[in-house]
Amino acid sequence: MDFSDSPDVAAFRAGLRSWLGEHLHSYAEGVGHDSAEAVAATHRWHRALAAAGYVAVSLDAAYGGRGLPDVYEAVVNEELAAAAAPPPPPIGHIAHAVADFADPDLKARVLPGLLGCTESWCQGFSEPGAGSDLAGLSTAATATDDGFVVNGQKIWTSGAMWADRCLLLCRTEPDQPRHRGLSMLVVDMTTPGITRREITLANGSREFAEVFFDDVRVPAENLVGERGQGWKIAQHMLTYERGPADMGWTGRLGNVLAAAQEGVRSGRLPADDVLRRRLAAVAVDAQVLSWHVARSLVDRDPADPGSSGSLDKLLTTRVEQELYAVVGDLAGAAQVVGDQRPFGEYLWSRAQSIYGGTQQIQRQIVAQRLLGLPRG
Amino acid sequence: MQIGLDADQRAFARSCGALAADLAAGWDRGRGPRDVASPEPSEKDWARIAEAGWPALRLREENGGLGASTVDVAVLVEQLGRHALAAPVLGTLVAAEQLQALGAPADTLEEVAAGELRIAPLLDGRLLGFAPAAGGALAWDAAGATLAFAADGSAHALGDALPAADVTRAMRRPGARVDDASLELRAPTDDDRDRLHAFVLTLLVADLLGTMSAGLDAAVEHARSRTQFGKPIGSFQAVQQIAAEDLVSVEATRSALYSSAWAVDALPAAEALRAARVAKAFASRAGVAVCEDVVQLFGGIGMTWESPVHVWLRRAHTDRLSFGDEHHHQAVLADLDLSAGA
Repeated sequence: MDFSDSPDVAAFRAGLRSWLGEHLHSYAEGVGHDSAEAVAATHRWHRALAAAGYVAVSLDAAYGGRGLPDVYEAVVNEELAAAAAPPPPPIGHIAHAVADFADPDLKARVLPGLLGCTESWCQGFSEPGAGSDLAGLSTAATATDDGFVVNGQKIWTSGAMWADRCLLLCRTEPDQPRHRGLSMLVVDMTTPGITRREITLANGSREFAEVFFDDVRVPAENLVGERGQGWKIAQHMLTYERGPADMGWTGRLGNVLAAAQEGVRSGRLPADDVLRRRLAAVAVDAQVLSWHVARSLVDRDPADPGSSGSLDKLLTTRVEQELYAVVGDLAGAAQVVGDQRPFGEYLWSRAQSIYGGTQQIQRQIVAQRLLGLPRG
Repeated sequence: MQIGLDADQRAFARSCGALAADLAAGWDRGRGPRDVASPEPSEKDWARIAEAGWPALRLREENGGLGASTVDVAVLVEQLGRHALAAPVLGTLVAAEQLQALGAPADTLEEVAAGELRIAPLLDGRLLGFAPAAGGALAWDAAGATLAFAADGSAHALGDALPAADVTRAMRRPGARVDDASLELRAPTDDDRDRLHAFVLTLLVADLLGTMSAGLDAAVEHARSRTQFGKPIGSFQAVQQIAAEDLVSVEATRSALYSSAWAVDALPAAEALRAARVAKAFASRAGVAVCEDVVQLFGGIGMTWESPVHVWLRRAHTDRLSFGDEHHHQAVLADLDLSAGA
């Protein structure tokens, strides 16, 4: 049992800290996704990280990664959070899908741009009729002589407004049982027939979009893996979507907590005994969450990493929603009058139990796959 | 980072679990409070416990012990909780560690390690910590113990078991001072005291983890086999949602236990104590909450004496209160983190 860094990890961490100390200030300003300038700043930041060798470090060196264990991805996420730096590009799961399933030609065409962050990617999974029930999706890719013709609609596509490419989960085999009828395509977002429509979230955020596909032609060589393999690839991606990134998210929650604690210590945020106790209680939960996330990285069931990811997400949801509830109560009237950014963050915490699989679906996965309770 | 049990620790968990299960099978909760078996082990059972090296586990080799790490001890204690073992192993481990930390002589500790001297820790009357002296104190998990030492080194005989929620462990009042057994103990340094405290809190977390996970596993098994409306009740979403959140609590408690147990031996004492307080605050709330859900998942049968469900809930409540519940540790942590100048 050892929760501390190995010498190699410690050296990597020290190197990253020193790089951040030197370069963060030149890139951190204005990063976001709510304006063209903010998106451009995000791209500059991601390219700088990539050039310094801190993007997709767990990917094989042959594809532009560094072939390091998952824990190094976690260190990147953790250190960026600790430095209050903007997050790294959320591409590890896409990179692994392409690297682990695509043929050599497709890999050679798309991985350099993805890993170098010179091309921006989005992930077309959810549909208006297929959220929790993702395998029921209906966007159709009909096979032609030289590829596919795609028709349908995606929703909640993060970064779609500025993406160059889309990793698209779509139905190619309508005659097959639903999980076996899906395939994964790489779609160039400039292809004729693609229409994007921005979604403004309840907190004003403009990260998401709907994407419409009308007779969009995709060449056969853009198929990732084989026809009918889409669901398997999507499940594989889940392994990489959580885990390391959770370290970063947990670190960012830790920053919110630390700011609230500092506010109470300095007297800026008046707190009675009840609020002090609630803040202490959520600090307990946040600490346990960060231990748990660390343990999940190295002690998870390799046979079923997705289900333990569901468990981790449920724990994160508990902590995050309670944290923002306490932070909001500490702010008192300032939560509803004045600078509305904190209220926006609170609103986003309510999405934690919805995106990436709702709390109810995650509980069902935990109950059926981890506890072995029967399907209804 | 190497988080999780290694192969030796997993094997030790299995052997501890096998013995604990065997010992637990010989304890009968009876048909009601009047005929529940005492948690005092038979001479034969205590000999098996001593033979297994459990009382000696944490004592250093120069004190006749095995010098095990806190993680190893936590592995054992989780199994004690898992099988709701009605024998004072945890009390012995806690008392032995206290005496060792306070510099008790090796010959006394050797007797404890061998199972020849049976001791229990003395806690203050609110169960918040070790009692400085015997007045108003309680001997904790004291079934079969012949002596309890207060922090001042005074040895005390023990009275009858008090009425108590937990039917698997006994609380007793210290009685007359036994002068020829009393010890010269040294005042602990702050570090010694904090590390001892962290160790004890960690063991309580381990016992809570074993208790809550045993309850949840039994509830899941029940939900798989009990049918209503022609289906197993475990197929109903309302039941699944409860059980799933309970597994989140169990696994988070396991993460907290691993971190806290590692910290006792690896981090500066104050940091180890902080980690242990966090783990104890979390596990105290989670342990009782899960055991309450287990009552709910079992339905009416879980409210009968015949069912083991109340045994887990009783044990969880006692673990929760002992050495401070979540409110106690949250208050301490609030003072550490939120006071001006902190």
